[in-house]
Amino acid sequence: MANQPLPLSQETLAQFNRSMSTEPGTSGPPRRRLGSISTRRSSKDQSKDQPHHRPLFLRSMTIPSSESSFLSPTVSNSHISMGKRFSFAGWHQGGRVSFSGLYLQQPIQEVYVENTYRTGPEPGCHFSASRTQQILQATLDSYLKGVCYSPDSCSQLCQMLADLVLSKLKDVNPPRYKVVCQVVVGQSGKQGIRVASRSLMNPNTDNYTSAVFQNHSLFAVALVHGLYFE
Amino acid sequence: MDEDPSAEETTFVVDEITTVIKEAVESTIGNSSYQHSQINQWMSSIVESSLSQLTKLGKPFKYIVTCIILQKNGAGLHTASSCFWDNSTDGSCTIRWENKTIYCIVSVFGLAI
Repeated sequence: MANQPLPLSQETLAQFNRSMSTEPGTSGPPRRRLGSISTRRSSKDQSKDQPHHRPLFLRSMTIPSSESSFLSPTVSNSHISMGKRFSFAGWHQGGRVSFSGLYLQQPIQEVYVENTYRTGPEPGCHFSASRTQQILQATLDSYLKGVCYSPDSCSQLCQMLADLVLSKLKDVNPPRYKVVCQVVVGQSGKQGIRVASRSLMNPNTDNYTSAVFQNHSLFAVALVHGLYFE
Repeated sequence: MDEDPSAEETTFVVDEITTVIKEAVESTIGNSSYQHSQINQWMSSIVESSLSQLTKLGKPFKYIVTCIILQKNGAGLHTASSCFWDNSTDGSCTIRWENKTIYCIVSVFGLAI
């Protein structure tokens, strides 16, 4: 089984290349990505003989191609699903493929980290409330300037803001700190509203900040807590 | 046998926290109408009683309790949260409570030490 496919490889490659060139991109981005990978492979296979790559490529092809050459659309589709797996795992890990063509997963090795005996954050690595507040205020101001409240879109806006703030804070976050970010967005009506928060934390290592934004149609409150993970 | 109870204690259990918080809210603003003058007092009371009840649970967690009280006026409100933590041990829960004139939203975040 391992020896036989070698003569088939040129045929199947040619078939695949034909199907790739004729078929329009129905599912755009994944096809294009895979197209680049497969053409790289095929050009590699044609120009330089690299036997250890070929078996991976072939095993994905032999399964459907056992039927006939009419199956070129389905061949390419199945190759998409299988090739995607191969592309990020099989190549980098040296390609462990079983005889039946199914991809064998490497056993997940548990990572054991040594005990650091650290009970508190390092001197320069505290959660900086002032810096976080600046980032928070700037994000709110830039994102919500000129935005009007609308019931349909504001729930998504709220979630997006929370994720955006979190991603910005992850960059400046000192190590071993957990971050909790909460955003409240509401319509500026004539109602009263109050937002309060209290937390049980270690005042030496943990802190929080908040920022408020208001315009003619909406208001937003963002709360960020940074907690040290002991 | 000794390991199982400690494993249970270090995960965030939503149900008991929901009960605790609901009691705290009901006891504070159970039958009241929105009054601007009393809001500060209500907020402090809800949040403090929630937090003290949570500490009585005796779990190795740091807690953040956020409370929003909103007058019923037809205006819309959205809240969202995103957290950078350990999914296996940390968690959050949000409790919504309302009566004829007040909406009350309490969020509790619990982070394992």
